[in-house]
Amino acid sequence: MSKHFEEHNFVSGHTACAGCGQALAARLVVDAAGKNTIVTNATGCLEVFSTKAPQSSWNIPWIHSLFENSAAVGSGVESALRYLGKIEEVRVISQGGDGGTADIGLQALSGMLERGHDILYVCYDNEAYMNCLTIDSLVITKQGLKKILDIEVGEELAAIDLKNYQLVYKKCLGIFDNGIQPIYELKTRHHYIKATPNHPFLVLKRPGRGKAYGFVWKRLDELKPGDELVSLKRVREEKSYVFSFKKVEKGDYKVNNLNPVKIPEKSSPSLMKYLGIYLGDGWVREEKGEVGFALPRQSFQRKEFIKLHKKLFGCKFREDEMYVYINSVNLAKFISRLGFKKGAKNKTIPSWVFTLPLREKQAFIEGLMSSDGYKYNGSWRYVSASFELLSRLKLLADISGFKSGKVHWQGVNKGEKIVNRELLKDTAFGYICISRRKKPDFKKWPHHSKYRNFFCDNKYFTVEKVKEINYLGKLPTLDLRVEDEHNFIANGLVVHNTGIQRSGLTPFSANTTTSPSGKFSTGNPKLKKPLVEICAAHHIPYSASASVGYPQDLQRKVKKSLSVRGPKYLQIHCPCPLGWRYEPDLTLEIARLAVESGLYPLVEYEYGKLTKVFRIPKPRPVGEYLKLQGRFRHIVNNQEEVARVQKVADKNIEYYRLK
Amino acid sequence: MKKFLEGSQAVARAVKLAKPGVISAYPITPQTHIVEGLAQFVAEGELKSEFVNVESEHSAASVVLGAEASGVRSFTATSSQGLILMSEVLFNIAGMRLPVMLVCANRALSAPINIWNDHQDSITLRDSGWIQFYAENHQEAVDFILQGYRIGENPRIMLPVMVCIDGYILTHGMEVVDIPSQEQVDKFLPPYNPPYKLDVDNPLSLGLLGDPTVYMETRYAIQETLNDVLKLIPQVSSEFESIFGRRTLRLVETYKTDDAEVILVAMGSVAGTIKDVIDEERSKGKKIGLLKIVTYRPFPKEEVFNILKQASQVGVIEKAVSLGSDGPLYTEISALFSGEKGSPQISGFVAGLGGRDITKKTIQRVIELVKEKKASCIFMDLNKELLWEEFRV
Repeated sequence: MSKHFEEHNFVSGHTACAGCGQALAARLVVDAAGKNTIVTNATGCLEVFSTKAPQSSWNIPWIHSLFENSAAVGSGVESALRYLGKIEEVRVISQGGDGGTADIGLQALSGMLERGHDILYVCYDNEAYMNCLTIDSLVITKQGLKKILDIEVGEELAAIDLKNYQLVYKKCLGIFDNGIQPIYELKTRHHYIKATPNHPFLVLKRPGRGKAYGFVWKRLDELKPGDELVSLKRVREEKSYVFSFKKVEKGDYKVNNLNPVKIPEKSSPSLMKYLGIYLGDGWVREEKGEVGFALPRQSFQRKEFIKLHKKLFGCKFREDEMYVYINSVNLAKFISRLGFKKGAKNKTIPSWVFTLPLREKQAFIEGLMSSDGYKYNGSWRYVSASFELLSRLKLLADISGFKSGKVHWQGVNKGEKIVNRELLKDTAFGYICISRRKKPDFKKWPHHSKYRNFFCDNKYFTVEKVKEINYLGKLPTLDLRVEDEHNFIANGLVVHNTGIQRSGLTPFSANTTTSPSGKFSTGNPKLKKPLVEICAAHHIPYSASASVGYPQDLQRKVKKSLSVRGPKYLQIHCPCPLGWRYEPDLTLEIARLAVESGLYPLVEYEYGKLTKVFRIPKPRPVGEYLKLQGRFRHIVNNQEEVARVQKVADKNIEYYRLK
Repeated sequence: MKKFLEGSQAVARAVKLAKPGVISAYPITPQTHIVEGLAQFVAEGELKSEFVNVESEHSAASVVLGAEASGVRSFTATSSQGLILMSEVLFNIAGMRLPVMLVCANRALSAPINIWNDHQDSITLRDSGWIQFYAENHQEAVDFILQGYRIGENPRIMLPVMVCIDGYILTHGMEVVDIPSQEQVDKFLPPYNPPYKLDVDNPLSLGLLGDPTVYMETRYAIQETLNDVLKLIPQVSSEFESIFGRRTLRLVETYKTDDAEVILVAMGSVAGTIKDVIDEERSKGKKIGLLKIVTYRPFPKEEVFNILKQASQVGVIEKAVSLGSDGPLYTEISALFSGEKGSPQISGFVAGLGGRDITKKTIQRVIELVKEKKASCIFMDLNKELLWEEFRV
């Protein structure tokens, strides 16, 4: 329960997407209704984005109970007002989305109409209910890099703020196991990710000369090679890692003698370089209190390592031709607690490394390269038997000022082909290439740089082209739900979180995640449920449709309906940029086009009789409406299909005499 | 004033005395007589209330939710399938802290469809956050409704109350019952004045999205409040006694348990039959007693433990079963004694499902079985001929 102080009846500060038609319509409705109104709301977008406890955008009394009972709760409120003798002065509005109204909530709505409660029911019709990654995807969180499987609700995930393209951290609100799904592998120049065909990715939109660039969400099955995806190049809030390590002291249980050693309190560039060398060439035997490094006596790495060791830990060590040994219980304990894991095949880069300052991450990569890496044609190559190490190193390099290629993985007996050095022939190996990211001279060639890479001046993100998309097979999948921004960063790429499903008010041919288009389908096969007529058939005083594209008409209808007693129904067409897949600034244009083409007739019924329609003397062709939206993309170039939709519009024009 | 009434009529009169502003229900046997009675009172003008004839139980619960949120006392009643259809809204009502009153005329759950009495419907709702009282007779049903309103509407409680009465046995049976006067009830039950409501002069948003940062606290708050209800019940009960001259609402009722070696545990109308059997057995010198659970939610753990610990054998007789486990009441009582030294031997008995009569013979058989070795879930009075034993794995 939260109290409101502002002047308007529905105030800003909610978390709706940019260009949300529903938020706009809700404001128009409650402002037209006035202060003396009680609102009951069904579960849905509107409820979720406007009332996250303890905040609320509603400046009039408002109640939400469930998905399907908004009309019934409204009936209860209205009966209470009747009992209290306040029914003359206070209005009741029950509202919901199209799913909560036309599908699961239809029974309660019909009951309310039939009983004759003095309620205006408003349906915000966005024509659908408002997807997933494989379980090995790696996600960037505030605590570093994690497997999607290990993410917990409440954890803060990196996401892109689409208003200013900056990196933000947003809470994970839910994790959904989407079961075994068909999976495609998407490859870009520097990244790869496995996802379902309906998973949305953020894609750069090049509008052509003179127009502003923008971004759209595209489903994997709509992506083509050459599309530019957004990926992460840097993380925020980088700080040195503080180790909470408690040394073993002389006199502890079974400790008689100790090699005195300094243990650093927090990470530093030289320590990270040391640990880089350790990860490549080192080992630790905690039970023996031994740390060892395989560095040949003559190599320059040995000299550099000894310098670093003396500076950092300052303890005694032994050397021989091939190895350096340090016998220190504390050092062994310290290193084995850092999470690098043991054994060539299991080695990995722990999460905390990902949140270090840039300088320390670079030092770590340098150290690693000086061990198992080598220079080849101006770039570094790194060889390892651990696939996990390579895939994590790749993402670490991406956010540390390097660019990296894919992980090249070779099976047993193919080792000699990949690198110019001797390798064991009986084990599986992989390698990746990394090189320093070139900085374009943005000041000198701003337009040229911007054209080549839209994010060349962005601190955190970059764009890169899709190279190929391949079918992989059926794999287990997971999806995350993230607050506000609804996106997160998986395998370095910005991805979106939720799907959009068919409802009774989904129009003919629209592509939703539960009525997808495909070889044998052109999207939703059903016509829209005629809910305005269904309500009018209850012979209620008023049943009408309106559009957020015509605000004056909408508000007139709200006021007109509230001026009569008894049950009223108003269905408002509210475009949804996310679900319909269009630019947020097109909401009103799309809403108007739906009306002007005849696809969304604005009609008014009084006591069961059609009394008024919104005339469209010169109807626009439906193609103009369809081509602006991703949900119709599959039919826009198919004349036959467009003609079928045109037929629906023509029928409306004829039936309601819209001309 | 004492009257000879059908249980449903007695309940309707008690509700009328509480003066709810909104009543909403959907007909279902054996609850129907209750709302028929109320509809008649409204039609005759004896009760000034909005009576909303809804299209389903889901909407009935939603209507009382809306009314209660608007600051008006409300009432609904249902049974069996209706209660289960309501269940989504019932959880919601408890979570929104709205002190709705619901009378559940207990009836078995389908399939097979069966309109007779057992406790499976309301027991299924035990985790919903509702306070649950089980009445043994008409008088208790009347008194629990009045006291239930008083407890649920306490500004420090604000939780819904379900008064469970056995379908047919109480709803359709005739008994002498003392219906209090309106003056007495008005003295006991003040008008409903909730600390929060939908009000245009003081706009509030109710039913917000609770993300992981707040949800758990809301559940913990209900848990703690229910613990407070255990302390509040004796207070309200003694206040009721001072006005009406009788004490009916308790956490638990004991019958000859002081020196009992065997204590039977039961809820609802079957307690009457058990008391008769106990009297007969006592006359033969057998030390048997009864513990009747009146308040099932919140569960009075301390009281149940203290009474049962002195017995050497305990038999829990219940009209419900958690299929695949044991009887829910048996499970809860056994849990109280886990790890306790010298605890009694507790056995569980499922009886009277789908309206099968629990006779004196059934109770006598239970008493015999209790003394044998411990058993967790014995179905009483099964007709062996109807069991297809040969088809078992």
